[in-house]
Amino acid sequence: MGFFDVLFARARAPISRRFGAGVRATTEEDIFDDEFQRKLETLAVVSKRVFSGAMRAERRTRKTGSGVEFADHRDYVPGDDFRYLDWNVWQRMGRLLIRLYEEEEDLSIYFIIDASSSMGFGDGEKLRHAKRLVAALAYVGLANLDRVTIVGASDAIDGRMPETRGKSRIFRVFRFLRDVRPSGETDLESAIKTFVAQHKRRGLAVLVSDLYDHKGFEKGINALRFAKFEPFVLHVVDDKERTPELRGDVRVYDCETGDEREVTVTAKVLDRYAKAYDDWLATVGKYCASKQVDYFRAEVTVPFDELILRVFRKGGFLR
Amino acid sequence: MAAFAAVGAAVVVLYILKLKRRPVAVPFSRIWERILRDKEATSLFSQLKRLLSLLLQLALVALLVLALGDPRTTANLVEGRNLVVLIDASASMQATDVAPSRLEAGKKRVIDMVRGLGASDRMLIAQMDAGTTPLSTLTSDVAELEAAIAKVEPTEARADFARGLRFAADVLRGQPKTEVVVVSDGVLGPARDQFGAVDLAGAKLSFSPIGERGNNAAITGFSVRRYPLDKSRYEVMLEVTNTSPEPLDVELSLWGDGQMTEITRLRLGPEERVPRFYPNLSGASKTLEARLSLADDKHDDLPADDRAYALLPERRRAKVQVVTAGNMYLEAALLLDEYLEVTTVAPASYPAEGKFDVTIFDAVAPKVSPNSGGLLYLGPSGGELPFELEDEVKDDDPEQPLGFDELDSKHPLVRWANLADVNVSRARPIKATKEDRVVGKSFRGPLLVEGRRDGRKFVALGFDVRSSDLPLRIAWPLFLLGSIDLFVEEDTSYISSFATGEVWRVPAPSGASSATLTLPGGAKTPVPVDEGRAIFLGRRSGFYELETGDPGSRTTSGFAANLVDAAESDIEPVAELSVGEVKASAPTGFSVGVRREMWGYLLALVVAVSAIEWFLYHRRVTV
Repeated sequence: MGFFDVLFARARAPISRRFGAGVRATTEEDIFDDEFQRKLETLAVVSKRVFSGAMRAERRTRKTGSGVEFADHRDYVPGDDFRYLDWNVWQRMGRLLIRLYEEEEDLSIYFIIDASSSMGFGDGEKLRHAKRLVAALAYVGLANLDRVTIVGASDAIDGRMPETRGKSRIFRVFRFLRDVRPSGETDLESAIKTFVAQHKRRGLAVLVSDLYDHKGFEKGINALRFAKFEPFVLHVVDDKERTPELRGDVRVYDCETGDEREVTVTAKVLDRYAKAYDDWLATVGKYCASKQVDYFRAEVTVPFDELILRVFRKGGFLR
Repeated sequence: MAAFAAVGAAVVVLYILKLKRRPVAVPFSRIWERILRDKEATSLFSQLKRLLSLLLQLALVALLVLALGDPRTTANLVEGRNLVVLIDASASMQATDVAPSRLEAGKKRVIDMVRGLGASDRMLIAQMDAGTTPLSTLTSDVAELEAAIAKVEPTEARADFARGLRFAADVLRGQPKTEVVVVSDGVLGPARDQFGAVDLAGAKLSFSPIGERGNNAAITGFSVRRYPLDKSRYEVMLEVTNTSPEPLDVELSLWGDGQMTEITRLRLGPEERVPRFYPNLSGASKTLEARLSLADDKHDDLPADDRAYALLPERRRAKVQVVTAGNMYLEAALLLDEYLEVTTVAPASYPAEGKFDVTIFDAVAPKVSPNSGGLLYLGPSGGELPFELEDEVKDDDPEQPLGFDELDSKHPLVRWANLADVNVSRARPIKATKEDRVVGKSFRGPLLVEGRRDGRKFVALGFDVRSSDLPLRIAWPLFLLGSIDLFVEEDTSYISSFATGEVWRVPAPSGASSATLTLPGGAKTPVPVDEGRAIFLGRRSGFYELETGDPGSRTTSGFAANLVDAAESDIEPVAELSVGEVKASAPTGFSVGVRREMWGYLLALVVAVSAIEWFLYHRRVTV
């Protein structure tokens, strides 16, 4: 087969066989370096201060309806249980705030990291960022003697780090995360159903994903909810995907499914795309709020430690 | 139409062909689907936009095809004029009263006319000087006409107005709406020639006058002649004219071989002509030049007529062989010219050794040897004559003395010698053939004949000079030396210069059929030679050189040409011009304004439509 034959064979190949283009494997050599580990330690100390009086296997977690000790307020978002609204504050200050309670519980933390092709799209920063976040949160969990489990997911469970405890196991976490590679389609429902079946002990399930699920991200979250896990959605978003650098007549195809669409990209079309993207993000946020699912948007441009601190401030994680 | 159909079809096919799109990966195609759903709702509108793009392209093609077709409006097709522009390039147009010169101002004016031509007007540009030279065709092509105007060059000759007008009339004959435009200072002379007044055949005559004043002094006459008996000396006659209405102080200088030999200051009254005579000059052996300038180091308006030139032919010793049994008159006459090298031989010793320019046979006619040169027979007799003789005649009728009854006074042999009253006692008239030229004739037959036999020139005098009173006259040595000069091709006595603006017939030394003429500027031009004369219409004054022969055996002769023309030097501009009854009007109808051809506008429209299409495409309106 000559050079041109190869060329023509490539040109004739259906586009679905070529997808995966634009998806890069992340390079892990530098993401868990010393600097990263120093920051993890700082976060653990900060978390200790927040979660004071920690005992072995005792963690304060937010559990609506069953708490006894008032901890804090947070802003009301649509979908919150009206029963926890602090009417006194509203009376005095006109602000709608939700009362947060603390309850001690022996806790399992599961990290479900999306390892589909879309997470590695472009420069692969989304997956890198997701890995850093998972490592950081896992370290906090390990430092607080929680049971930490990590699974990779695309259309099925791709890999699993078994339940573990103790700070010293963080290297096992690193090792596992280093082996996570972006591939396959996103099918959260199928993957999470498998996950649920494999893990009988309920606990906090942190879903770290871009939620690019053609069958609907809701199904995956629902699978967790219905199985009595407490879902926490860390939505990894990359602003570059909001403003793609496209111009002219192009045939866009999905990097996971290979679905094609012909489109002529103009400034107007790009504006509309950005709006549609924003709408989609808003839809995700609204859905999680309506289902009382903790939702946090993790932008790749924000450094992970700052993000973790924001997570702590907002509440919802390990409280 | 066919071109439009073909290109239009190609454009449509290109629009029907599907655009090949660049494949681009996206992380999540769902979001794109949302936009495309909205877009599909407006697909009809987008189809229309594509149609708009197609229509713009078809409009572009239509405009291009139309522009290539060079369309004209109906009015323009009907209204076209046919014009001949005669640009006067005579010497007076070199006057500098209008900067930089009248000719340049005239050319600029014609350029303005060309740029203001109507859509279907046609014009021909011609240079009018001593001849008339068309420089373009009858065309409406502005570029060709402007190139033709640039080719107009000044000459130092007077304009032949009648010839120019006849040329224009010939060009315009049979054409509709004809017009002759004369661009000149009006120093043109009458519009008449040997065929009578010029008829313009109904063409309109327009005149564009050029010039402001006529402040000029000129050399209007310049003659040099050598003394026949002392050819190393010469005399010069000059005439200087002030053509302006003001008195002028002028300096007149004479230069021989590039060195000043004479300088004179003169005061010329208004319109005054002053002749000057310089006798007995010597020193110059080759060139002679007269220069005129204003005394206060200023220049007059026309520098072209401030110089005059003459060339003194190089002198060389002519070798003369005299075959005689003894003739005192002959030998004495030949002693008069020191530039002759005379060898006398007895008839029995003929030929003498050496090569001769002239051989004089005094009452003998031996067989001619090859190195004898030209032959002068005095009282011919004997058997080896190249011509035949009549029987002897005697002066026996007191009523009709024997002598020259008819003389060709313009012939160089007798130009300076008066032979009219020579008395001859005995003579043998010569039987002249058709080719021979009879210079002097008695009622009894030709007595002086010039001719050529087997390529050799001869002059025959039909009587022995001792049988006449000719040797006692001053005409005898003049005739003898004139004959020798005729053979050595040296016109000794009068050094003429040619007048510019005339057809020159310059003697060519050899029998060549063509020659090369070097003009005063150094340019060379081939000239035809007819009957031993090179023919050339001279337009510039100065020194010329004529080369003839093959490269190996080239002979060169020089001559001078002058504009000595008082009428041409009178450069006072004329405001009005008439040809017969027709009075010229000012040229009209050359208003610079709307371009005549529509294709230019169509092309501009194409550019505009392309710009619109480009803008719409990049604003993504038509895609």
